[in-house]
Amino acid sequence: MSVPLLAVENIGRRFGGFVALEGVTASFEPNKVTAIIGPNGAGKSTFFNVLSGVLAPSSGSIRFKGSDITGTPQHRFAHLGIARSYQITNIFPELSVHENVRVAAQAFRSRYDIWRNRAAMTELDDKADAALAAVGLTSRRGTTAKFLAHGQQRALEIAIALVADPELLLLDEPTAGMGPEETKDMVALLERLAAGRTILLVEHKMKMILGLSDRILVLHHGRLIADGSPQHIQTDPEVRRVYLGQNHGYA
Amino acid sequence: MTASDSSVAAVMAGPAGHRGWRARLAAWRVPLSVLILCLLPWVLPSQALAVNVLIYGLVAVGYNLLFGYTGLLSFGHAAFFGTGAYVTGIMIGKFGLPWYAAVALGVIAGSALAFVIGLLSIRTRGIYFSMVTLALSQLVYYVALQASSLTGGENGLRGFTVAKIDLFGWTVDFLDPLKKYYVLMVFAAAALWLVSRILNSPFGAVIEAIRENETRARACGYDVERSKLIAFTLSGLICALAGTLSALHLAIVPLDILHYQTSGMIVMMTLLGGAGSFFGPFVGALAFLLMEDVVSLWTSHWQIVVGSVFILFVLFLPKGIWGTALAWRAGR
Amino acid sequence: MDAELIAMQLFSGVALGAILIMVALGLSIIFGMLGVVNFAHGALFMIGAYAGLWVASLTGSFWWGLLIAPIAIGAFGMLIERFLIRPLYKRSIDDPLLLTFGLGYVLVEAVRIVFGSDGIPFQTPPELAGVADLGIGFFPIYRLFVVAVVAVILVLLWLGLEKTKFGLIVRAGAKDPQIMRVLGVDISKVWLLVFGLGIGLTALGGVLAAPMRNVNPEMGSLVLAEAFVVTVIGGMGSLVGAVVAGLLVGVAISMTALFAPEMATIVMFALMALVLLVRPHGLFGKPVRG
Repeated sequence: MSVPLLAVENIGRRFGGFVALEGVTASFEPNKVTAIIGPNGAGKSTFFNVLSGVLAPSSGSIRFKGSDITGTPQHRFAHLGIARSYQITNIFPELSVHENVRVAAQAFRSRYDIWRNRAAMTELDDKADAALAAVGLTSRRGTTAKFLAHGQQRALEIAIALVADPELLLLDEPTAGMGPEETKDMVALLERLAAGRTILLVEHKMKMILGLSDRILVLHHGRLIADGSPQHIQTDPEVRRVYLGQNHGYA
Repeated sequence: MTASDSSVAAVMAGPAGHRGWRARLAAWRVPLSVLILCLLPWVLPSQALAVNVLIYGLVAVGYNLLFGYTGLLSFGHAAFFGTGAYVTGIMIGKFGLPWYAAVALGVIAGSALAFVIGLLSIRTRGIYFSMVTLALSQLVYYVALQASSLTGGENGLRGFTVAKIDLFGWTVDFLDPLKKYYVLMVFAAAALWLVSRILNSPFGAVIEAIRENETRARACGYDVERSKLIAFTLSGLICALAGTLSALHLAIVPLDILHYQTSGMIVMMTLLGGAGSFFGPFVGALAFLLMEDVVSLWTSHWQIVVGSVFILFVLFLPKGIWGTALAWRAGR
Repeated sequence: MDAELIAMQLFSGVALGAILIMVALGLSIIFGMLGVVNFAHGALFMIGAYAGLWVASLTGSFWWGLLIAPIAIGAFGMLIERFLIRPLYKRSIDDPLLLTFGLGYVLVEAVRIVFGSDGIPFQTPPELAGVADLGIGFFPIYRLFVVAVVAVILVLLWLGLEKTKFGLIVRAGAKDPQIMRVLGVDISKVWLLVFGLGIGLTALGGVLAAPMRNVNPEMGSLVLAEAFVVTVIGGMGSLVGAVVAGLLVGVAISMTALFAPEMATIVMFALMALVLLVRPHGLFGKPVRG
């Protein structure tokens, strides 16, 4: 029995009196795509923030490759092999597309060197270019990031996470704000990325999730109410009640 | 904020090896700066102005490392500038140390203070930072005011004139303004070279990333708090060096060098010239000091003119003189 | 140590604290609503003092100065918000701060031009001069008056914040136009009023402080640092924090002046450094991250 890549046990998170997450337990095998869904306010963002180290859980534990990483400071997560993208585009606006990814790659090589000329670190250029090629942004390499179209900025988000060469990729609504065409492109990209990586994504677009995921977790009011294959989730009565009651369908 | 010269250089030096004029400028920025500094006493109306541009330009360069490149608006940098000056003066005047030891100690003291103030202020949330740095540096002001047996209190520190400098066997007459200028310029040039290296280094990319998006930088694996502290300390180091030069130049250290008005002046110079660019701070110092010189010819209330100009810049020319020129040139 | 002396010094600290509360509250209200740290706050305190002095000399009565100056300077504050600061909300959060810093610079120099650089003594109004025997000691009537006025203002503010729609908006502290629209409010009016209120409070502090200090163009510079210290200790955006910290700082300065006068100003910075070490978000502030 192999050790799961990521295992969360009884995760809880409170903000003052408000309980955002309670008793969430799940484990994630490598090389699978898992989607996390739920109505607004279900706790998806909080869960993601706990998994990526932005928030420490109020209770419970997180184990990554068997080691307890609960309470680890956020900036160590990338070094553990966990990278994330954000729902609201979080890039470096005044830097070029290439620089955006290059500086992300640099975090694994040199963080405090004040002497060496970083232009000499050509291996970073290669890694950055490879990540840009993977998301299809090579032609926009020199553009200042803030001038990219929305869909391209979302792709850049992914490239920044990708260049960390992560074992676990956490993607928060990668298709946020995208129309049908752009969403199709993103889904194709995600399918390519899924080969050889473990992906957790938060999404609202049901059709996309059903096609892409190996497994779906459903959160509601901070609790995990369903966990299984897409077929299982579609027929789960609890899930139907929650979604039909919320009038939630395709996003 | 403009993209820095170094990131532009990195972009420009793509696989085809094409390097635009900005990249060329960036590669030669230190020799170019030194050349301009050499010419300054001959080009400006007075040598006093030249020395001031040298010293305050250097303070602004040090400050810019934190403000323009890391994105942290400190209002307390007078503390490091002033500490460098005071420690130098005290070491020469009260302890009889040779000038180079006094300068070294001034730089060390200023850097250590920057480390401590950085430690306390970086733990505060973004917008608080400016208030906390102002208040902490004002503490230093009041301590200096009270410790008058050491610092001279309200009257400032006096009695430590350096008349001769022994430099590798040469004896330089430090009372000759021109010779003094070039000795000080050597230090400033060395500091500029250090700053340029820092900006070109991997750490230089880290602080820019922090400026652009601190959250994202943290998610990428950078310890943002530690990096800010390092940037803060380095920035304080450069400002402290400028302070030691000020002490050597004036042979007095006025108490006001520690007041937050001085911090504000440093901020103004940096913004006037263009934060986030290499030449901007010197341009800003020059513009500020020239304005002060010219306006005080017809009124003693030059501050109201300078303050109003600053307000206009914040409203309409936030990139500063040099920053706007760069952006305009790039847009053509 | 003489109990009467301690009581009087304590009270002196409360009076000093009352002034600090006015200034810090103004700063906190403006920050809470607009996200702007007003670096001209000390200068406007000073201008409040000068305005009070000027009106008093025109009308021959301190009371007119006390009434008119804060209102007039508050209105001036609204002009500042409308024309200088509002254009900067869309830009980086530092830009309004920088502008107010430049503005403070200009205002101080303008006062120097109009009134000269020397201080102007402000006589305590005769109705409030002298001391009152309160059993435990003789307390200056003027300082009793200051504490009373500030207490009244605090009550009025509390009522306004708790009971009115405007107060609800200020307490929510939202700069978010969405919430404003939901509440059916014109947000630009709110900005104007909040800024005016904040400036009015600091100007009132200035008028009240005038008889206690020498009125001079520099009197705002220490006040700005004091306001920052109080705000950091109390917690940014917390009105309760401003009150508690204001009193704390006022008393600390006053009591230290009794034992070690040269340390009096330094002690408040030391307090702030201590708070930063132990509780960086201030006594009543919200923690930064979860």
